[in-house]
Amino acid sequence: MVARDRLEQLRGKFGSAIQRVDLPGDSRLFVFVEPSVVKNICQYIFRDLDARYVISIGIDDRPFSGNFMVAHNFAFDEDHLLCSVLTYLPSNNPKIDSISDVVPAANWAEREMRDLVGIEPVGHRYLKRLVLPDGWPEGEHPLRKDFSWDHVPKEFNDEREFTFDEPPEGCTVVPFGPFHPTLDEPAHFRLYVEGEMVRGCEYRGFMAHRGIEKMAESVLGYNDIPMLAERICGICGCVHSVAYVQAVESAVALKPPPRAEYIRTIMLEIERLHSHLLWVGLACHIVGFDTLFMQSFRIREPIMWIAEKISGNRKTYALCVIGGVRWDITPVLKSELRQVLDKLEAEWREVVAAVSKDKNIQKRTVGVGLTNRDLVKNAGLVGPVARAAGVDIDCRRDHPYAAYDRVEFDVITAGGGDVWSRLLVRMSEVFESIRIIRQCLERMDDGPLQSPVDGELPVGRMGLSSVEAPRGESHHFVITGENNRPRRWRVRAPTYQNLQAVPMMIKDQQIADMTISLGSIDPCFSCTDRLETIDLRSGATRVWSQRELLELARAKEVRR
Amino acid sequence: MSVSSKLKETLVCLKAGRVTLPYPAQARPVPEKFRGRPIFDVTKCTGCAGCANNCPAREILVFDICQEIRVLEYSGLRCTYCGRCADLCPEKAITLSHDFETGTDSIHDNQQRLEIFMSTCQRCGRCFEEPSALEELKMKGYRLDDLANDRWVFRSRSYLEGEPAVEDIPIEMD
Repeated sequence: MVARDRLEQLRGKFGSAIQRVDLPGDSRLFVFVEPSVVKNICQYIFRDLDARYVISIGIDDRPFSGNFMVAHNFAFDEDHLLCSVLTYLPSNNPKIDSISDVVPAANWAEREMRDLVGIEPVGHRYLKRLVLPDGWPEGEHPLRKDFSWDHVPKEFNDEREFTFDEPPEGCTVVPFGPFHPTLDEPAHFRLYVEGEMVRGCEYRGFMAHRGIEKMAESVLGYNDIPMLAERICGICGCVHSVAYVQAVESAVALKPPPRAEYIRTIMLEIERLHSHLLWVGLACHIVGFDTLFMQSFRIREPIMWIAEKISGNRKTYALCVIGGVRWDITPVLKSELRQVLDKLEAEWREVVAAVSKDKNIQKRTVGVGLTNRDLVKNAGLVGPVARAAGVDIDCRRDHPYAAYDRVEFDVITAGGGDVWSRLLVRMSEVFESIRIIRQCLERMDDGPLQSPVDGELPVGRMGLSSVEAPRGESHHFVITGENNRPRRWRVRAPTYQNLQAVPMMIKDQQIADMTISLGSIDPCFSCTDRLETIDLRSGATRVWSQRELLELARAKEVRR
Repeated sequence: MSVSSKLKETLVCLKAGRVTLPYPAQARPVPEKFRGRPIFDVTKCTGCAGCANNCPAREILVFDICQEIRVLEYSGLRCTYCGRCADLCPEKAITLSHDFETGTDSIHDNQQRLEIFMSTCQRCGRCFEEPSALEELKMKGYRLDDLANDRWVFRSRSYLEGEPAVEDIPIEMD
């Protein structure tokens, strides 16, 4: 009933500006409003009702309603409610008031909307190109429906270079990236440095943009997408696959059988186990403590093996289809999984006992990469980064999905807001994951793995789904469509929000702490990027031009 | 420096000992269910094109040379080894092998080309039984994927009157 209360609050405040409301259940709310009040209603929801900002989505709805659409998604964590504020915009020259000055976390999402769909956020203070490659011509928007998935604009100019902002006075520029600035993924931070201290930075990313949303909207089918959604991320792949499938299921009101929900939960927790162990290892590696890096990876390996036994692959589980799962957990696998967990728990206890008092690690991590509650709220931070700053949010508890409403677990928080707190949170979450898997193994009953899908899925329904990835909340938004594929699918990976706060986290810190500060959000640039970008390294050090690289690649193609 | 922490960490290392395998001299055996490179059995395949229709990576291409002969090509380039083809094959003609060492100088090592004699079931598209509407064949009739360029042709102009060949290269046929 809380959803109705929230709706009454909005109605009381905005009255007739609310044109239409969809209330598919207690946990989802879609409010259609006039474009003129979008900013006010977002401010009211974000500031007065204290909701958490999730993402903004631009939608080209012209072939269906003749309009563009914008959705701003918010989460009322205490009410277990996901809310979407939608508005229709005219088909020519779509403009909307920017909400980024009242909701700072919307900064990137609005820039992305402008790049990909061509909806102009009026009043946005920093409208630099974010997603599209440097040589991409103005006025071409790849996520519009009249833009074919394989079209390359003729005016694409691969000689055009990125223009960097001017650094502030008295600062030297230190490039950080684009090659592997922490983990083996591309992103470029241009640090403004005064002596040893970082005073600010400019971020340039989206170098691994792969066009996966466009592909889903124009080429793939409903059941093809989970297999590719999984490849959005190399670490939390199953999360994206589950989130997509759940978004579709919530849109068309299809409920997977209980056994499938338990299996999803188990696989998601297996993924969290391996991801957290990997992160602890990498964090230690970043601060130069390779011993623990090795041990962490050793302890992690049996988890990969058991995942391989269950699903057939170490990492890409190919688990979900609409309405269920593909792999069963047999009694033999159950007992093996239990043994793996017992061993893991014992070994991890020893490591935690050793590390939690290790002064060397503390010296590198305490007080580094600081966040606080305000930053969490304003930048929309999620996952262990938020929990380490004392903000008690966790989608598994706040927006229960799969079988999380049937298991008991604690949400781990810490108060420091620094890298050390994030380390402690992640180390303790491993035990909670083990606890969840054990409960699932005990409670899951026999039954079918898939619900029957009767006929084609209904068209034009909207679905939201939030899944707690190891690094934070992964949010998927789906509008179902014709031809056996979604009309619009928007993926918001946790790093999308967390990365936006990195400039604030590293401000006024030593440049040497940059790597671990960035590493501590467990960045996943590929998740964030999602689409296909052909990018250049600018400047005189360039060895290969894009054309040369293409020729090289084509020569290889011919050879085969 | 905290001595007790360091001692505990040393103990963790000593207890573990050496765990690295001398790969590639000795590889860890893969589990029974392992999803490796798919292998197509030409003796079982009926050419229903269900696998091609449901391949997320569009790795399986189908080309009808004439009414009787259908070519099915697995191009081995960007296969994600998801195993949907094997799941959906009504004849169980596809198995996911245990072969994961697929690095090669020549892509032909990973490719497979089946030439299937289509005896009775021609072009009706009914020999593929889809589990739900989500797997339904997108295209019935002749399939003329572009084998030379590894491209899937979504619709053929010749059989679906009035619907243009959208989203991919147009195919003209008499």
